[in-house]
Amino acid sequence: MKQVGFAAFVAFWSCVGTLLMLFWLVPVTPSDAAEEKPGYTLAEVAKHNTTEDCWMVIESRVYDFSDYIPKHPAPAIVMANWCGNEATEGMKTKGYGNNHSQMAWDMMARYQIGVLKED
Amino acid sequence: MIPSKLKTFTLTLAILPGLLALLFITAADFSSAGALLNVLGRLTGIWGMALLLVAAILCCRVPGFDQPFGGLTKLWKLHHQLGATGFLMILTHPLLLAFAAAEISMDAAVYTLFSSQSAVLWGWVALIALMIFMAPTFAFFGKPDYQRWKWMHNLSGVTVVFALVHTLMLSRTLPGHWGNAVWGLLALMALGAIGYRWIFSRWRGRLPYKVTEVTHPANNVVELTLQPLRAHLKYQPGQFVYLTPFCRELESGNNEEHPYTLSSSPCEPTLRMAIKALGDGSRALQNLAINTEVSVEGPYGRFFDPKASANQAELWIAGGIGITPFLARLRHHARLNEDVNVHLIYCVQDEARLVFGDELQKLSNTISGLSFTPHFFYQQGPLNSYFVKQHCPDFNHREVYICGPVPLIDSSRRILTDAGVPLSRITTEEFVLS
Repeated sequence: MKQVGFAAFVAFWSCVGTLLMLFWLVPVTPSDAAEEKPGYTLAEVAKHNTTEDCWMVIESRVYDFSDYIPKHPAPAIVMANWCGNEATEGMKTKGYGNNHSQMAWDMMARYQIGVLKED
Repeated sequence: MIPSKLKTFTLTLAILPGLLALLFITAADFSSAGALLNVLGRLTGIWGMALLLVAAILCCRVPGFDQPFGGLTKLWKLHHQLGATGFLMILTHPLLLAFAAAEISMDAAVYTLFSSQSAVLWGWVALIALMIFMAPTFAFFGKPDYQRWKWMHNLSGVTVVFALVHTLMLSRTLPGHWGNAVWGLLALMALGAIGYRWIFSRWRGRLPYKVTEVTHPANNVVELTLQPLRAHLKYQPGQFVYLTPFCRELESGNNEEHPYTLSSSPCEPTLRMAIKALGDGSRALQNLAINTEVSVEGPYGRFFDPKASANQAELWIAGGIGITPFLARLRHHARLNEDVNVHLIYCVQDEARLVFGDELQKLSNTISGLSFTPHFFYQQGPLNSYFVKQHCPDFNHREVYICGPVPLIDSSRRILTDAGVPLSRITTEEFVLS
């Protein structure tokens, strides 16, 4: 067991080191420029306020989370209240002061459909 | 409860939180390779945490708690298995979560590991602390000194608290009240065990004794006689205690506890223990002064079955200082004038190392039903089946007890099982405790 423990210890730091090395070496792919996306007003977003048709505004970007809601770790009701609304606070606090992980923030890019425009 | 059932119960308790979490896993958790890695990452975190908590519960060392597990040695083995498996799972947990995030982007993978979120920071504090405190256990940097290992290993209990903070802040696989109930219950039990070990046992669990006699039955072996200063310990023959001497003049081991088997009969008004110089602490005890105050914590171990009848047919194989539990039982039978049905084979290198040889010879003359056969390695080579059969022809119908160094235990077990003795009839006690 001692050898297994030592091997696991070495493997752990090797994996962490490899991840950091890749992060440092692999160039960042520029994401789609937000400016190229269509613009939506808050009034338009507000029409998509159900869990089946759920748009949200987070940091001036518009997202369609309709397909994501069934995959969200928390029950659908947690996200339902933010559908059709400005939801930056929800994203940053989860409702109890805890920000979402970087993974969650990065994953949102998949669901962006546009940017917020003035009414 | 028999030991195997209790072991199953303990393992069930350790894997229960993970099994409960499986109930809350949805189809979305299998929607992609990343989602699957993510759920596996969360499950290894839950199982790792639960295994570490149950391992912490088992280390409480409350006298008597080890009995249903078959003795403290077997309880320690279970503690080691759970702790080591938990440690491996905890190492896997952040890596799987980072690999899962790599499906989104490399940034997400790295930021999953190195987030500034306080919950993640607590996770790192717990993990690094666990690595530091477990390093001597896994001998990452060579074999450590016993006392340093023990001190570091005790500190690993602190990591449980850090890991709990991390778990309670991030836990989402076990939702709401389920998470609080599962972690709250296990944490309460673990903290209770650690609290007993660190606080209660130090003040109330140890009995004060005084050294009244020091004899040397052989070179490098001392037998201490201890007189109780308060209450006298209640124990069974063959059990062991943790002895802590309080003597600043000792070359080594002052105020340090070490386990030693009692060699006295429970009927005696004093405690006796035979100690061979195997390390710095036990070597220093060879010259312990009369009237030195010591503390005794225990008793632990369950070498002999306390429910077995006195005249059960038994074969005892002892190696070196492993004679101690057998000596304790023979002294006890002699005091009670009980007949036995025992054959004792005592394996030593040569006559000079036949510790308590004269007393054993006398006991075999006074206790009816006791046969005593010394085995000398320098004359007869390693113990073999021919020797056992020659001196104890009906050995494969007897309950067998073996105590001594690991090579003797292994070879004796092989001789016996090759002759058809089932493992369930063989009880062993290694003289290596950690």
